[in-house]
Amino acid sequence: MGAKAKIMERTGKSFYERLYLIEIFKGMAVTLGHFMTNFLDNSKLYVRHYPEVQPEIPARWRGRHRLTKHEDGTMKCVACFMCQTNCPAKCIMIEAGERIDGRSEKMPVRFTIDLLECIYCGYCVEACPMDAIRMDTGIFAVTGADRQSFVMGLTALLATPGAYTEEEYKKGGV
Amino acid sequence: MAEKVQLFVNGQEVEVEAGKNLIDAFGAIGVKIPHLCYHPALGADGNCRMCLVGIEDGRPPIVPACKTKVAAGMKVQLDTEKIKKIQRDIMEFELINHPIDCPVCDQAGECKLQDYYMKYDGQPSRMTVKQVLKSKQMDFGCGVVHDQERCVLCARCVRFTRLITKTGELGIVNRTDAARVTIFPGRPLHNRYALNVVDLCPVGAMTSRDFRFKQRAWFLTRSASICQGCSKGCNIFIDHNREKYKDDIIYRYRPRRNQLVNGYFMCDAGRMTYKGENDDRLLTPQVDGRAASLDEAIETVRRAISEAKKIAMLVSPNASLEQMYAIQRFAAAIDAALSGYSDGCVMAGDGDGWLIQDDKSANRASFALLNIDASKAGFAAAVSGADLVLNFLNDLDRSLGEDDLTQLPATAHLVSLASSLTACVARSAVALPVASYSEDAGSLVNCDGRLQRYEAAVLKNQPLKSLIEVTRLLGGSVRNIQEARAGLQTAVAVLNDVDLERIPADGIALTASEVAHVAA
Ligand code: SF4
Ligand code: SF4
Ligand code: SF4
Ligand code: SF4
Ligand code: FES
Repeated sequence: MGAKAKIMERTGKSFYERLYLIEIFKGMAVTLGHFMTNFLDNSKLYVRHYPEVQPEIPARWRGRHRLTKHEDGTMKCVACFMCQTNCPAKCIMIEAGERIDGRSEKMPVRFTIDLLECIYCGYCVEACPMDAIRMDTGIFAVTGADRQSFVMGLTALLATPGAYTEEEYKKGGV
Repeated sequence: MAEKVQLFVNGQEVEVEAGKNLIDAFGAIGVKIPHLCYHPALGADGNCRMCLVGIEDGRPPIVPACKTKVAAGMKVQLDTEKIKKIQRDIMEFELINHPIDCPVCDQAGECKLQDYYMKYDGQPSRMTVKQVLKSKQMDFGCGVVHDQERCVLCARCVRFTRLITKTGELGIVNRTDAARVTIFPGRPLHNRYALNVVDLCPVGAMTSRDFRFKQRAWFLTRSASICQGCSKGCNIFIDHNREKYKDDIIYRYRPRRNQLVNGYFMCDAGRMTYKGENDDRLLTPQVDGRAASLDEAIETVRRAISEAKKIAMLVSPNASLEQMYAIQRFAAAIDAALSGYSDGCVMAGDGDGWLIQDDKSANRASFALLNIDASKAGFAAAVSGADLVLNFLNDLDRSLGEDDLTQLPATAHLVSLASSLTACVARSAVALPVASYSEDAGSLVNCDGRLQRYEAAVLKNQPLKSLIEVTRLLGGSVRNIQEARAGLQTAVAVLNDVDLERIPADGIALTASEVAHVAA
């Protein structure tokens, strides 16, 4: 069986447009024009000079997670599993244990977020009754060489500080 | 059929069972009345007032539902503004000093206070004074942890120790907001049913040390089953969960109501038998002490069976009725002497006449049904001169002395089908893993001759074959559990009229006289 050829109807407002070729050369001229302008003076670029120039991230941007701490350095998380329960990607895995830092009675002994599975929806932050998990690190690009490096553990989550002041965060940026 | 009475609830005419209180009678037809202190096994105490309902033209017009019996023509109101206000107010009282520990409280998700707050209250706290602080994380003994702040002083736990165990370790001291549940100084809970207070407590004031923080209640799957810790066969829920990347694990057993067996309770020892289902399991077939494939192990045993001159077979009193039947048929087919010797499972004097029985095996009564001999003499006769001993689940270590045990594998080839890594398995030349009761279905006859059925609850990532399947691979004739049930129905006189596929939820009594008749 031979391939079926479909005859397309020619469209376009005028005869020149219906010829197509003229329009194609016009387009190429625009591209060449931009290329020449940028080539001679690249401060006129329409795009950001990433990564040299980093974007402005507002405080309510949902970046990589962190676990917050009280003023005395103890973690706020009480291993209530609300974030794990609410997570639609099922990428939070907690193991709870007896609290050993003198606050209340329960804390996580393991707290893992698999960032490859996370969809950065922020439901975990919304669910937390302790304001213990936040996505305010300002980290928007997580890179790694293997899958394991995307699995964040308790220590790593506690180590990253927030990128904003408390007032900015509470205001939600803007 | 119980007697019925007609009465009205919220203006609607309904028919309920006579002689019951309003909570139970309406509960049976799906009309729920909130209550905290009332429990069917502990009676009405009338202390929480959560169950107040209106009676139209009644004197008095407002009564506690737990203490009021249904009467013909009674006009009960559950949804008037007045009743709703009472419920809201009682909830407000309960919550005045409540710590709202829900994030760290094991009860969250199955807590009456949470449920009732969402359903009957829902208003923010109006309290401005400081809350009364009480003791938390108190060790009450027997693995019970008490939190005085979360307690709603319903006295269920206190009544349990007074009315049911009659040990009376718990009491409520002081009055008003200083009231608290406590133990006598230096006298912690000390009875074999103590953990039932954890189930009884409507809130998170009593929690279990063993279960503490292991899982949140809403992750658990509740599967109905039968406890196999002793011959009583208490009805239970197996609460299990498969966490991400992990296996299906059991986290706790809880009693399941069966008025004809265990009521609402179970013993603490039975509660802890879930651990044996998770840990120390035989998972890979073993031949001469090294791991082998199932095919190789089966082949080894089949060869041993064909070469053996005299075969002895041992069956455990923990095997289900269907398993015993399959084993018995297999024994008859290969001409093996079958023994159920397991004296070690009986701890004379350990039973207490209520739930705990002397016999720590789940299904010894089925030996009588199937005429399986369990005497020591029978066992000795079966193994003497035998060059192959096939052991089906029987933990011989419990019954035999050290000398006999070492002698047995020396004179005979010992093959064990087992679900746990017992010492007997370690001595075996071939060990074949089989599914345990939480992963398999079956029927049991308890010490009172009640036939009960359980279904598979746990599904492991790598499911083990059931005992009947492995027996079939070894050359047994029974293909599956349905075939075993059909066979039992024709072979056993008392089961002739019993459909083993359809045993009712609370079991069937195989009357004592009939069982004795079959055994004779
Ligand atoms: S951001 Fe969404 S997907 Fe990611 S961990 Fe939180 S709840 Fe889960
Ligand atoms: S919701 Fe918050 S407090 Fe609860 S486990 Fe998650 S991070 Fe911890
Ligand atoms: S007892 Fe109920 S309401 Fe109180 S902290 Fe525990 S879960 Fe929350
Ligand atoms: S501990 Fe629980 S069962 Fe006992 S009085 Fe308090 S709330 Fe009731
Ligand atoms: S249940 Fe009736 S007063 Fe508590």
